[in-house]
Amino acid sequence: MKNFAYREADSKDAILAALAELKDAYVIAGGTNVMLNILDKKVNDRTLVNLRNAKELRGIKDNGETITIGATTTISDLEHSELIAGEAKALWQAAVSFADPTTRHSATVGGNISNASPAADTATALMVLDAVVTIEKKGAKREVALTDFFKGVGKTVLAADEIVTAITFKKSHNCAFIKLGLRNAMAISVANVAVNLVKQGDVVKDIKIAMGSVAPTVRRCAEVEKALLGKKLEDAVIAEAVKGLDKDISPIDDIRATGKYRKQVAPVLVTRAIYAACGCKDGGAK
Amino acid sequence: MAKKEITLNVNGKAYQVSVEPNEILLNVLRDKLFLTGSKYGCGIAECGACSILVDGKVQLSCMIPAIAAEGWNITTVEGLADKDGNLNPVQQAFIDRAAIQCGFCTPGMVVTGTSLLNQNPHPTEEEVKDYFRGNYCRCTGYTSIVEATLMAAEKMSK
Repeated sequence: MKNFAYREADSKDAILAALAELKDAYVIAGGTNVMLNILDKKVNDRTLVNLRNAKELRGIKDNGETITIGATTTISDLEHSELIAGEAKALWQAAVSFADPTTRHSATVGGNISNASPAADTATALMVLDAVVTIEKKGAKREVALTDFFKGVGKTVLAADEIVTAITFKKSHNCAFIKLGLRNAMAISVANVAVNLVKQGDVVKDIKIAMGSVAPTVRRCAEVEKALLGKKLEDAVIAEAVKGLDKDISPIDDIRATGKYRKQVAPVLVTRAIYAACGCKDGGAK
Repeated sequence: MAKKEITLNVNGKAYQVSVEPNEILLNVLRDKLFLTGSKYGCGIAECGACSILVDGKVQLSCMIPAIAAEGWNITTVEGLADKDGNLNPVQQAFIDRAAIQCGFCTPGMVVTGTSLLNQNPHPTEEEVKDYFRGNYCRCTGYTSIVEATLMAAEKMSK
């Protein structure tokens, strides 16, 4: 029998106070993961602390070179934001490939990363945009780079009395996100990739590549990045560079795909995403 | 578990109900408010049969604890018609286009269609198909549903 107490917390202070006071707090915002976790009997006998009405945690702010999104900003907010579509295209592409419009009206970015599924689509995009997560508890605040935020499947650096309150990341005009699922909609990623690229003339000045669903956490593909720095983006160069994925990813067999399939498809996706990010072949990020 | 007296604003009416934290909005709408239009299709956010509008935007009532919905502006399929009982354009288009067979998915479909046209009054066929991706129908094959929604958009733009 599902047994819960309930606490409404319509401001950040109220949320942090509740988390400090309650030993059994379990935060809920959009509910699209929480309710499923409860139905799966993964969570019971807790106090649900409802963040959904804390308006101060929802919103997208343009800081000039960076953007800050509040933790309870919905995926639909991202989808309908001209700022995100124009200056963080990879995140926008992740948002429009996320579940369906209905789910997106409820699901939040904070929830997506705090749930820490290796398939969290927004996490892959945010990771190549140098995202930094603001984490708060009563009386304290800290910032953690998204690359350090995930510890394992479903695990983050969050303590029991902490929540994500915001995520800040850099704008980009050359980034892209691609999701591969078992179907074109309502699919959990079999593999996803995001690329953020800075070119100097013909040559790669800086490149960030992240993949999801191919390791216990969303992660950067450091070997592939290294192999592309300073190089021209040509078929042969990229084909050689993506061999580094063998070291960067460690996909397993699960109900959606085998590790072997993921290893085969990862280089294809990374290649497509690189071209999409630079806009230099069809499928370019416009 | 502690029961709480809450007020749910549904279809313009304020309902007082007593709910426990583990009750989902879908079941409270159906079993306590007797608004049985929203259907329990899967209970796990896959089928869209439980779709309702919150401030005009479609959400899944099976994924919302009723206790969290206090004070929200909720519209169920029963609230789509006007106070004289005239069906809204999406509902009427579903009838005109015969986009209904067993009817189980229909409440979710018309609610979702209404949400779409609230946000995007002139959707393309692709946009309609994309918006409905979370609503499942086992009978119609979806063609008539997409056509009905486009017909409603056209009627509304006149």
